[in-house]
Parts: sequence; structure tokens; C-alpha cells
Amino acid sequence: MKKVLSAILAGTLAMSLLVGCGGSGGSDSGNSGNGGGAGGSGTTTTAAAGGDSSSNTSTGGQEITIGTSTDLTSLDPHNHNDTVSAYATRHIYNNLVRMTEDNEFVGDLAESWEYKDDVTVEFTLKEGVKFHDGSVLTAEDVKFSLESQKESAKVGHLVSMVESVEVVDDTHFIIHLNTPSNALISSLNHSGCAIFSKAHVEKILAEGKNIEDEPMGTGPYKFENWTPGASFSLVKNPDYFDPERAAQNDRLIFKVIPENSARTIALENGEVDLLVNVPSTDAQKIRDNDKLALDEYVSTHVEYFTVNHSKAPFDDIRVRQALSYAINKDDIVIASMNGEASTFDNYIGAAAIGYYDVVTKYEYNPEKAKELLAEAGVADGFTFNCYVAGATRATSATVIQANLAELGITMNIEQMEASTFYEKTGNGEHDSCLAGWVANAEPDNTYRPLFVSADTGAGGNRSYYKNPEVDKLVDDASVNLDKAAVQKDYETILKTLSDDAVWVPLYSPTGMLARQAGLQGVTPSAIGMHDFYSVHY
Amino acid sequence: MENKKAKKRSMAAEVWQRLVKNKMAMVGLAIIILLALAAIFADVIADYDTKVVAQHISDRLQGPSAQHWFGTDEFGRDIFARMIHGSRVSLVVGLISVSVSLIAGGTLGAFAGYYGGRVDNVIMRIMDIFLAVPSILLAITIVAALGTNLVNVMLAIGISGTPGFARIVRAAVMSVKDQEFVEASKAIGASNATIIFREIIPNCMAPIIVQATLSVAGAILSTASLSFIGLGVQPPDPEWGAMLSSGRDFLRDAVHLTLFPGLAIVVTILALNLLGDGLRDALDPRLKQ
Amino acid sequence: MHKYVIKRLIMLIPVIIGVSFLVFFIMSLAPGDTARTILGEDAPIEAIEALNEELGLNDPVLIRYGRYMLGLAHGDLGTSYKSGRSVFSEVMSRFPDTLKLAFWGMVFAIVLSIPIGIISATKQYSLMDSISMVFALLGVATPNFWLGLMLIIGFSLHLRWFPSGGSDGWRALVLPVITLGTGCMANITRTTRSSMLEVIRQDYIRTAKAKGVGNRSVIYKHALKNALIPVVTVIGLQFGSLLGGAVLTETVFSWPGIGTYLVNSIKAKDTPAVLGCVIIFSVCFSIVNLCVDILYAYIDPRIKSKYK
Repeated sequence: MKKVLSAILAGTLAMSLLVGCGGSGGSDSGNSGNGGGAGGSGTTTTAAAGGDSSSNTSTGGQEITIGTSTDLTSLDPHNHNDTVSAYATRHIYNNLVRMTEDNEFVGDLAESWEYKDDVTVEFTLKEGVKFHDGSVLTAEDVKFSLESQKESAKVGHLVSMVESVEVVDDTHFIIHLNTPSNALISSLNHSGCAIFSKAHVEKILAEGKNIEDEPMGTGPYKFENWTPGASFSLVKNPDYFDPERAAQNDRLIFKVIPENSARTIALENGEVDLLVNVPSTDAQKIRDNDKLALDEYVSTHVEYFTVNHSKAPFDDIRVRQALSYAINKDDIVIASMNGEASTFDNYIGAAAIGYYDVVTKYEYNPEKAKELLAEAGVADGFTFNCYVAGATRATSATVIQANLAELGITMNIEQMEASTFYEKTGNGEHDSCLAGWVANAEPDNTYRPLFVSADTGAGGNRSYYKNPEVDKLVDDASVNLDKAAVQKDYETILKTLSDDAVWVPLYSPTGMLARQAGLQGVTPSAIGMHDFYSVHY
Repeated sequence: MENKKAKKRSMAAEVWQRLVKNKMAMVGLAIIILLALAAIFADVIADYDTKVVAQHISDRLQGPSAQHWFGTDEFGRDIFARMIHGSRVSLVVGLISVSVSLIAGGTLGAFAGYYGGRVDNVIMRIMDIFLAVPSILLAITIVAALGTNLVNVMLAIGISGTPGFARIVRAAVMSVKDQEFVEASKAIGASNATIIFREIIPNCMAPIIVQATLSVAGAILSTASLSFIGLGVQPPDPEWGAMLSSGRDFLRDAVHLTLFPGLAIVVTILALNLLGDGLRDALDPRLKQ
Repeated sequence: MHKYVIKRLIMLIPVIIGVSFLVFFIMSLAPGDTARTILGEDAPIEAIEALNEELGLNDPVLIRYGRYMLGLAHGDLGTSYKSGRSVFSEVMSRFPDTLKLAFWGMVFAIVLSIPIGIISATKQYSLMDSISMVFALLGVATPNFWLGLMLIIGFSLHLRWFPSGGSDGWRALVLPVITLGTGCMANITRTTRSSMLEVIRQDYIRTAKAKGVGNRSVIYKHALKNALIPVVTVIGLQFGSLLGGAVLTETVFSWPGIGTYLVNSIKAKDTPAVLGCVIIFSVCFSIVNLCVDILYAYIDPRIKSKYK
């Protein structure tokens, strides 16, 4: 009897383990597989709840709580490449340059810079910038930061074009490139190119610690605390060098809330002041709530469906065009995003640098699709697989599946974890897949991995699209210093991609930040790299 | 031999009589029969192509009505029709994966219990290792390695349930192996395998039946969990766990998306547990009143 | 007794070796691009290859396993692929929170289940018995995450009694503890009931009753003590399942424990992190079971004599 019982309980144990894990899986996979590393990581900020915030209306003691769906991975800018970690490190450190809301690059730590020739750029640093420990920033710190970054497996590629950094004096240095590159300045804006204090890093490394154990930079905030899986907080740096960009609150607390509905509820309850990447199901609820506000912005995020061009019948342009006509993007936006997205025809997000509205558009037209399939000799339909990671993409895939079923095409959906997805699509095992991309500040970082022949498979070109002409144009755009020529290159690429029906672009999610109605100074960033220094009540 | 069979039949009849008296167990049994009927006649109740997978986005997220008894989901599909078809998956996966556990675990457990000593030690230590690995990890990895489809899901759940059966069968075998009828078979020169499968296993069926009934419930929950994280049944096929998972985001506005599949799981597992408990009472003469 | 405990602890070593072997090989069997998962979609292929090389992922499985075991033999759980930090410190920073949740979940379950189980058993087939048994079965049959979300909607959103997540203060504990403890409570209730029933029917209880010992006294002095052994076993086993079940509860309630860490590590194919969690889980599970066995000895002196 007892043994029977214990065995039953062993069974129960196994079962509860399984049931247990189910929950987290669902919520997480929704975010996986997005582009830009930053992809779907929802972040929410909350100001001090209820009673606290009212007492904080004046200048002193304001705490802003921000809700995020995932935790940071590292406080070392050289050891991460994700949005949430960047929320921390971008506020602790500064970069040489930063991007304005109008997609312009301006000096941050740098006063100015000048191209001496294609491969030599001279920089001037701002005077008297101080680290959190009071020491003064010099060109030596820049040299140290950029050169040690080259060793990083995670962000070293951003500065692969940097040959060396030559220190002229305390505030002047020259970056020597090993190849002409248009990506230098935009890369220097990436969170991976943060500037460390050489003395500080050398000291903590000598003590056997890591950079992330004591992050210390020049930024508007100092690192305060990190409870892995729960929260991290930053406190105001009162001596910040740029008064215009100094913190307007005293503390930023980031709370990790993985579950979508729980995140919104935390905002409604006043437990958080600000939410990033708002669940699409809750957007309308937030709009309807007088106490809350929803800030919407155009993002650089594109979701797309692509076939594997190296496999028949997808090597036939007529089949790809037929698919473009066959898919009902409006239905996808409603089913997957509850309407919180715009249908999309382009290959790079509308808010991104390098976006031009020049593409050929394919309107939903099943009749035309049928004709094209008949022309291609596959009027009777065919069967293929579609690899998908994440719940939202599975929903989109289900709509596509139903659309194609009407044309007699059978698409078998196979859902998998993101890591499996990367491996299998990297090996070209897929017939088709759904993926997404969040463009960052450098268009080359979008065009190259997604469309260049050399990057087919694991490099990011999961369409297996190979077009020497596009390759040439991408290369030219990355090095040509003539802005008009670069624009022409990108326009030609976009036109070619859409004529070739390389993807079926599906939609671009509406960027959303949700906040308490009284919260001010929220400035969304199209690439998801929001600044929170200006947030206050 | 004839005599023995007759005795067995009368024993089964006796167990059945005891089971019939247990109202809760009968309720459980009735629910399960109803589910089985729904699964068998699913195509008659609701056509697969027009009701289960056809999408009507404009009718999405509608509450229960005369037309859609349980409302519609985020694609505008009829939830009732999907649940009826979903019962097929749940019952099939439940039965097959438990059969996998039963056959693998039962065989290992029987050998361990019968031979004892080193064989027992080796088998049971390996089982302990399997038991120490979280079954979610085991199941996810097996599915990830073999590919996402229903067969692999059944296999994965079956494997993660194996140690449980091995333990229970071993215990049962040990409790009967020294009894007279086993000794008698040995005396007349029956082979070990014959003894295990003809004498011992039939005589320790009681705990196995109970465990199997309860494991079907566990397997249904596990399938739901795997589907919940997207590794179970693939769209557009309906499955209760997958329905629950996709309805999760609509919990606050359209609770019927999760309510009905959730209730289906709860009721099925409840029914299996009621039946399992009833069987245990009926099979254990000591509990006879 | 000491000898027995030491023997049991030594038995942990083969289990750890077996578990690590099993997990390591199934992890390497499953396809997955670890470097790509860590670096994200936008990293160039050179960076992916560099990271794979740095993590030693290009080496054959056996070499990687050997390297791992060599470290383990020195008490080193390795370095997480994803964060680059020591797995031991990552796991240990999260473990207390999971333990806290599991402990209070268990307290919640025990405090409710044992009295209900006893009452059900002593009043078998009464209305009270049926209600509590159906309730217990519902507890087993209800998917955890569903209960958790319902509790959040009811008690956090509508009533605003408790926060929807986080781990600050006792209020944050209430909902996750109920979510986690319910399934467990249901199991212990059932075990208590059936175990009590079994004991009540035994001869010595009848004898005690016949001798005129009061009903209450019979139940609490004689029956309960004897019925406790299976209950304690179940509690031990349930504690393991609580640790596992915490995974879901942690996600729903944003609880910063080891469960979410494990699942995220599985997804990222972060083998050292997964191994670390699994090893800690299995050690913990074994120790809880050892404690259960030792507890037996105190409940039942006949068992104690066996350990000598």
C-alpha cells in the first residue's frame, strides 16, 4: 500500500514538474528569436507605487520603477548584447557618440570628430568629464576601452574595423581603421562601445574580480544593486558632466516581471511606473484607463515569413510572388498582435536609418496567387514545413497555414525553442520559417546579415537568397562615404528584394511604452534603446 | 488451468461489483466513457475542415452563444468543436505514453524485483538517475532532439514516466515473489520469464492498474504542458494544453478561451483520479467493508 | 545512525555522476545554436564562431564532458555559457528564494491537509469527506499556472490585497505559496486520509476502542502516529515536486528563483547552467529523502533499530 502510494506520488511529482515548467516556457518563447538581440524583451518601468509617488512630486527622492519582462545578463558592456542589459549599462556608462531622436549622431563623450582620410578619424573629447570615482576621463581610457572590446566575443565584432587607437594627448586621439567603413560612428553608439576607466578596470581585474562586479563609468547613474531574476537599480550621479542630460529622478528601479498579464497588472496597481514592450492584448485596456497613458512610436521591428530559396519550388520567383499575394497580412496583425501593428511591405523597419519607401507591394489577392501557381506548374499545390520559435510567430504561421490551405498548399508548422531554430535554420533544414528583425542604428547591420550571399544560413540570411548584385551594393554602401550614393545603393537593394519577393514581410509591431498618466519625460527610441534619465513626475 | 481462469473471472467480477458500489468511481468512469465517445465520434459531432481549422478572423474572441456553445478563439474558430477533437489527442497521448512507460518500466521493474541483488541494484540506480533529472528537461530534450511531433511527444512522456512504473512494479513483484504459487511454478520447472509474466505480473496487477489510471491523468497534463510551451501538438490541430496556452493572453477579456479547455483538463483528470481511487479500493480486499 | 547517514551521503556521488552524464549527453544530443542564442540575431557569423570556440563548443562531446567532470571533481560547477559567471554562484544566489517558496508552500499544504485528511478518515463517506476529497482531487487536477493567474486576477487586480509579483515582504509570498501548495496539499490530504483509514481498521485500534479509550484519544495518540509514516514519505516526495513546480509559479509571479533560471538555461542550451541546477536539485531531493528516512526512525522505533 505504502509503496503504491509513493509510486503514485512519484508520478505526481513528475507530472507537476512538467506542468510547472510549462508556464515559463510559454512566456519566454514569445520573445525569442527576435532580431537585434533586443527583439521582444518587454521592459516596463514603474515609479514608486501609490503613496510614494505623491510625496515625490518635488525634486527630491523620486524613484521610478520600470517593469521589464527579462532580466539583464551582464553589467559589463563587453559581456552582453541585449536591450535590458543595455538599459543598465547605457545609464552607467557613456559612449563617444549618441544618436538623437532624429537619427543623427552627435558627440556624447566626444566633442567632435573629423575624417582625415578613409581610414583615419580624429576625435576630440569633452573637457573635464569625470568618472563616478571622481577621476577625469582621458584619451587613454578610450584607447583601453575600444582595444579591450576587440577581444570580446560578444561585442568585439562592432569594432572589427578599428585597427588601433592612437592617443595624441589627454583629449585627442585618432582611430585608425583597417578598412574604410561607414559603420564606425554608428557602432560607437552601441552599448558595447561604452568607455571604461582604465585605472578602475585594471584595479578590479588585479583584485581578481570582473568588470561587472563593480561597474563604474561616467554616466548619469551609478550602479546600486542587482538581485538576479528580480530587479536592479541605479542611483543618480549628482556630478554628471552634461547638465542637459542629467538625471531628473533619483533612482531607477528595474523590476523583472516575465508574465505578460502580471506586468500589466503591476502597472494598473501602481507597482510600476513605466512598462516597455507592452503586451498587445493589454494595449487597449491601458488606453481606456484614465490613470494610465500609452506612448506609441514607430519601431524598426519587422516580422517576416520567408521560404528557403535553395529548395524547390521556392527557387521559382512565381511561386514566391504567389505566396506574397496569398497571405492575408491584415488577419495576421489582428490574430497575432491584436491590431497593435501595421501591415508591412518593406524589408527594414520604417523608423530605421536606411529605410526608403521604394518597394514593390503585393496586395492580398488569392486569385492572382492561383494564376501564378498555375504558371509555375504547381497548381495542384505542394507540401512544405515552416519552422517557428515563439508563440506570437506560431499564431502568424497558423494564419498563413489557413491562407495557403485555400490554395491547396499544405504547410506543416514545427514549433521549436529559439536555440533549436537557430541551429536548424542555420543548417538550411527548413523549407520556410518565420523570423523578425529589429534594425539598430547601422543599416549595414541589417542589410548584410539578412541578404548577403556570404551570410546564408547561420549568418542570418535564412532565406538563402543569393544575388551577386545585392552583395555588391551592400558592400558599396558600407564603405562609400558619399551619402547620396549610399542612399541609392539601399534603394536599389530594397527594390530588387521586393521584386524578387525574397520575403513576405508581414507586419511591424507598434512600439509602445505604457506609463502612469502623471509620468513625464518618456522619450521612446525607435531601436528600443530608451533613455530613462528624463523620466519624472 | 481451467479452474484458475474461472477463479480469475470471478475475482474480476468481484472487483467490478465493489467498484460499482463506489459512486464516485462510477461518476469518473461515466465521464471517461463520455470522453471516449466524444473522441471516437468527433468527426460526426463537428467537421474538422470547416469547424476545427477554418478561420473567421472577424468572429474572433466571441463569448459563448447558441451558435458557438463555448465561444470562439483568437482565430474565430469554434472552441467546442476544437475541444471535442482535442479529446482525441489527449486520450491517445495519455494511453500510448502510459503504455510506453508501462512496458518499459514494468519490464525493468519486474526483472529488478524478481532477480534482486545486482540486477536490482543496477536497474534501480539507473532509474534513480532518471528520477533525479527533472522530467521537464527529459521531455523537452527528447522532443528537441527527435523533432516536434506527436509520436515523439508520446515517447518523451512515456520515457519520463518509466521510473515510476519500474519502482511500483518492482515493489509489487517483491511482495509476491516468495508466495506459494510462485514457489510452486518454480518447483514444476517453469522458466524465469514464464514465472514473471504468467505468475507474478498477473498477481500484482492491482497497483499497476491504479498507477496506470493515474498516469494517464499525468500524461494528459504533461502533453498539455509540452503543448503549452509549443513543443507538443502543432497548429492547427487542437489540443487542450495548446488551447489553454494560446488563451492565456486573453485571460482577462475572454476568459472562455482558457476556462473551457482548463475545465476539460480538470474534469478529465478528476475522473481518472476518481476511477483510480475507486479501483484501488476495489482491488484491495483489506479496504473491503 | 551516523554511519547510515554517511553511507547515504556517499551514495550521492554515483547519482551525481549518473545524472551529469545523462544530462550532458541529452543536452548535446538536442540541436541548438548556443552562441547564436547568446549573441542574438544581429551578431555576425565571425562572432558566433569566435564564441563557440571560446566556449569550447567545437570540441567533441566526450572531451567536453571530461573537462566538465574534471572541474566537478574539484567542486567546480563550471561557468555559464550565457553570462560567463560561475554557475555555483548564480544558482546559489537564486536558490534561497526557491527554497523559501517551497518551504512555505509545504507549510501551507501540511497545516491544511493533515487536519482535513484526519477528519475525512474519521468521518468516512460523510458529506464532509466527499467534499474534502473532491476538493483535494480538484487540487491535483488544476493546472498550476491557471490557478496562479486566477489568483492574480482575483486578489491582486480586483481586490488589491496582494502584489502581483516580486519577492518583497510576506505579502508577495501569499499568492505564490497558495498556488504552489495547493497541488501538494491535495496529495497530502489524500494520503493522510487513506493512511488513517488503513490504520483505524487495524486490530490494535479496535482493541483500544474496545478497552474504552476515548475516540479522540485513539485517533491522536494511536492512529495518527502510525498513519504518519506514509504521510511523511509523501511530504518528502512532494518537497521535490514543490522544487520543480516552483518553476511555473516563479514565472507567473516573477519570483526570482532557480526554476526560471533552469528553464531559461535549457532554452539557451546553456549546458553548465542546466547541469548545475540539476545537480543541486538532485542533491537537495536526496537530502530531503534522507531527512524523511531519519524522521521515520523517530516516529517508528522499529525502523530505528535497522539503522544501527
